[in-house]
Amino acid sequence: MAEPIVELRGVGKSFHEGDRERVVFRDASLSIEPGAWVFLFGRSGSGKSTLLNLVSGIDLPDRGEVRVDGSDLSRLSERERTLFRRNHIGFVFQFYNLIPTLTVEENVLLPLELSGTLTPAGRRRAAELLDAVGLADRGRAFPDRLSGGEQQRVAVARALVHAPKLVLADEPTGNLDAQTGRQVLDLFQRLLRPAGTTLVLVTHSGEVASLADRVLSIKDGVLVDAAGVPGAGA
Amino acid sequence: MILWRAGMRNVLRHPWLTVLAVLGVALGVAVVTAVDHANEAAQRAFRLAAETVAGRATHQVVGGPTGLAEDIYRRMRVELRVRGSAPVVSGHLQLAGRTFQLIGIDPFAEPPLRSFSSRFADRGLLTTLMTRPGTVLMLPESAAELRLERGATYPADSAGVRRQLALAGFLEPPDQVSRVALASVLVCDIATAQELLGMVGRLSRIDLILPDGAEGGRVLREVRAILPPGADIVPAGARAGALDQMTRAFRLNLKALSLLALVVGMFLIYNTMTFSVVRRRRLIGMLRALGVSRREVFAMICAEALLIGVAGTVAGLVAGALLGSELTRLVTRTINDLYFVMEVRRVPLLPGALWKGALLGVAATLAATMPAALEATGAPPRAVLSRSQVETRRRRLLPLATCGGFVLIAAGCGLFFTERGGIVGGFLGLFAVIVGYTLLVPAAVMLLSALLRPLLETVLGSLGRMAARGVVVSLSRTGVATAALVVAVSAGIGVGIMVGGFRLTVQNWLANWLQADVYVTSADRGGGRYRPPLDPALVRRLSVLEGEALVTLSRRVRIEGAAGGTELFSLQVPERTFLRYPFKEGDPARAWSTFRSGAAVLVSEPYSYRHHLHPGDSVTLRTSRGERRFPVAGVIYDYGSDTGIVIMSRAGYLANFADESVDGMSFTARPGLDLARLLELVRARVGGEQVTVVSNAQLRQATVEVFDRTFAITGVLRMLTMLVAFVGILSALMAMQVERARELAVLRAIGLTPGQVWGVVCGETVLIGLIAGLLSLPLGIAEALVLIYVINLRSFGWTMQLAITPAQLGQALLLSVTAAFLAGIYPSLRIARTSPALALKEED
Ligand SMILES: Nc1ncnc2c1ncn2[C@@H]1O[C@H](COP(=O)(O)OP(=O)(O)O)[C@@H](O)[C@H]1O
Ligand SMILES: [Mg+2]
Repeated sequence: MAEPIVELRGVGKSFHEGDRERVVFRDASLSIEPGAWVFLFGRSGSGKSTLLNLVSGIDLPDRGEVRVDGSDLSRLSERERTLFRRNHIGFVFQFYNLIPTLTVEENVLLPLELSGTLTPAGRRRAAELLDAVGLADRGRAFPDRLSGGEQQRVAVARALVHAPKLVLADEPTGNLDAQTGRQVLDLFQRLLRPAGTTLVLVTHSGEVASLADRVLSIKDGVLVDAAGVPGAGA
Repeated sequence: MILWRAGMRNVLRHPWLTVLAVLGVALGVAVVTAVDHANEAAQRAFRLAAETVAGRATHQVVGGPTGLAEDIYRRMRVELRVRGSAPVVSGHLQLAGRTFQLIGIDPFAEPPLRSFSSRFADRGLLTTLMTRPGTVLMLPESAAELRLERGATYPADSAGVRRQLALAGFLEPPDQVSRVALASVLVCDIATAQELLGMVGRLSRIDLILPDGAEGGRVLREVRAILPPGADIVPAGARAGALDQMTRAFRLNLKALSLLALVVGMFLIYNTMTFSVVRRRRLIGMLRALGVSRREVFAMICAEALLIGVAGTVAGLVAGALLGSELTRLVTRTINDLYFVMEVRRVPLLPGALWKGALLGVAATLAATMPAALEATGAPPRAVLSRSQVETRRRRLLPLATCGGFVLIAAGCGLFFTERGGIVGGFLGLFAVIVGYTLLVPAAVMLLSALLRPLLETVLGSLGRMAARGVVVSLSRTGVATAALVVAVSAGIGVGIMVGGFRLTVQNWLANWLQADVYVTSADRGGGRYRPPLDPALVRRLSVLEGEALVTLSRRVRIEGAAGGTELFSLQVPERTFLRYPFKEGDPARAWSTFRSGAAVLVSEPYSYRHHLHPGDSVTLRTSRGERRFPVAGVIYDYGSDTGIVIMSRAGYLANFADESVDGMSFTARPGLDLARLLELVRARVGGEQVTVVSNAQLRQATVEVFDRTFAITGVLRMLTMLVAFVGILSALMAMQVERARELAVLRAIGLTPGQVWGVVCGETVLIGLIAGLLSLPLGIAEALVLIYVINLRSFGWTMQLAITPAQLGQALLLSVTAAFLAGIYPSLRIARTSPALALKEED
């Protein structure tokens, strides 16, 4: 069996608000194989975004261990975690989060520049991706000219342009109508599956669960496999 | 560099904010550069002139008020065979509407000493200069400027007498430096100068080049042995350093004011940059999530600031160059009024001032950016940090800032009580108090807006409550804006109270000091504070008025010495007048008899302060009978000279200085004679002489005018500081409104009319203005106290009255409310006009 790309062992995480403590994870464990698609369900406020933050090294656990691609994130410095993120992770957010002062094309090129691979080949890949998401002709536009669905497609292109091993998507379809949401998921299907890229996706919509290899949910601070979904628990 | 492009576009996206920040830096840099330039230009002009005129002289033989007898020079040459020596007769005269320094020399003795005379174009010129009386040389440039032609004759005035001067030829200095220095110098033969300046048979000084070592020491002793008691040898450098010494405090005061403008400018940058970071907290969080490192975020913010800083600095230097020549004029005028006459020609921005301004502008920008850049770096890499969280984090710093403020204020006050700190210590303390006070501002804003909330509520209803809360909710914005306004307005109050008190003090002093009805002096102002003597025949003619009025005779001279000069004012004064003099120490009645006989002297307050002299101590003066000690009989208030004066009775002066000349006369009408009649009598006797006859009222008026002129530059700097503050508050308010566009758009969407939105915004800005005005009152008064009791005392030794009028304070309050209100108009109009839909869509 291949080494898991994401591994959580006994993770505890809580937030303090004033003198009140809010426990999000008590004892969460998880292991994801390379190339697997994991969908994460859960009520709002159950800790889905927190989990993604932990996996991406944006946040650190209070207890336990988060390993991504073999390295224990707690042992990395802030700078090392940042570099790790820029090189190996692609992010898609619910609110698109494009840089408003950069054009669509520049937004897509930014991760390449950050990882130092702004080569002609990289540019070609960016152009291909923009074409793939159907926005080849909007490269010079600024994000605020685009509709929500279009913005999210740009965000997908941006998340994939540097060929990350792991893509994290936090309710990428949450702000879109059902049809536009499906378009975005189709994009993932077309662009991630062939490359064997691992995907962790947070969603509310049950009907997309069929695309997943595995479905998880958060209950009382632990991660549980949601029953009755094909491929779950693999 | 895609990342950097994002930053740069951000700067361009809110152009007016960027422009205001650039403007703030530019104004600060311009003021500092201009003041620096003006100070430097004046100092350099004086030093150059002094050095060029002194040439390579190592020492100078100087005499008493009437100079030296010619005979001394002859004996030095003939008996002692001192080769490197040259006689000089110098004074001032007016030619073609300009004041020139006339330097009479002996062309044959000059060559080893000075270069302006070493290359007389032809021998014929030399002969003309020496044989034809009334011939002079000047720079060809100066002649061209004044349209004077070689060979032609022009009228020149000196000591109230008009004579004809012929321009025999041109000076040809060997280098550019002496060319600049000689711009207002006329060179002539010694006999011509003696004739023109009324110094026949006398010399102003003898320049000497003494060899180093034992040989030089021997010559020095030999020369000293033949000098009469009234003369002395002093090192040549002593005079060149005179300006530094005399005007140091004056220049320091200007510099401190200019730095204040820069400090206010720094607030502006701080505000702009902090705003730019806070506004982009989402964006920065996003970039961090994408893998942009802290260091890169930091660099991006600094680069943005650098762009603003460099643009502002360049603009500031250009403006500084323009402002600099204007300030040079003001500084020169003040120096001419207060210290001595000199002319400063227009010079391009001095490299020193330029570099200092450039460095200061960029460094100040970066320093003011640091807090914002650090905050950006600290932002966690996720897009969830909300506005309220930022404010909460800021609010946690509040107790820390408040404590820091109190500590700084305490430290500043400590400096005021350590005498050893001197003027620099005083200014450091002042700056510490100002900065400390600004740290207290945020806490005070919270307190005051809570207190003022009921007021706003009654005036504006719930909108008023919203405005009051708005000020507190965005404290990180409003706190800084208010602090900048407080600094500027309080500086206005402080300097205003100080100048006002000073003015009042001077007026009161004049009332005691100027007791006579009519004054007569020579009309020639070429010598600055020192006037040439009146024609003895005129003095005799006017003295006949003794029957109708009490007549006094006075003379103001400078006694040169090794440690610089001493201003000696001698006058013959009736007992009645003397008893009313403004004594600070000593008893007029007891001082009178020793003063009248000339055995004791009075010193002015600054003199007493500088030389640590009090009644019972004594002053050493070099008289015509050698050095003599005069007991100090009293210290009197005097605001005419900041270096201080020694006052002696005329009897004492005549006995000690072998100079019978008089340069001022005053007349007090005896009972039964009215002022108009007295003026008429004096004018009739003056006849066609070039003298000024003024009444007491006119003289007081003129003195106060000089005073006002002296402080004109202070007023200009104060206004500029205010302008920077205005730009600051404008940009802070705009930033605040841009940031709140969404919130206000929501209000619009809910149903607030544009007018109501306008009301909320203006209510907020007016509240800020009111708070800033209130907060600036205590600081302004504190600044005035420090300026009066620490800075001015340590600079000049002057006692001043403190006069705080409610009008001054009310004005300051009005000023800050108006500034804030004006600054709020544009942003609030803009906000009120935007469509709610648009503002809701905009994400960042
Ligand atoms: N920075 C934070 N400070 C305090 N509480 C937080 C913070 N981030 C998340 N939480 C809390 O943790 C819980 C989980 O949040 P999140 O992971 O964002 O939920 P979701 O499943 O909706 O994405 C929520 O109750 C939220 O209030
Ligand atoms: Mg979430």
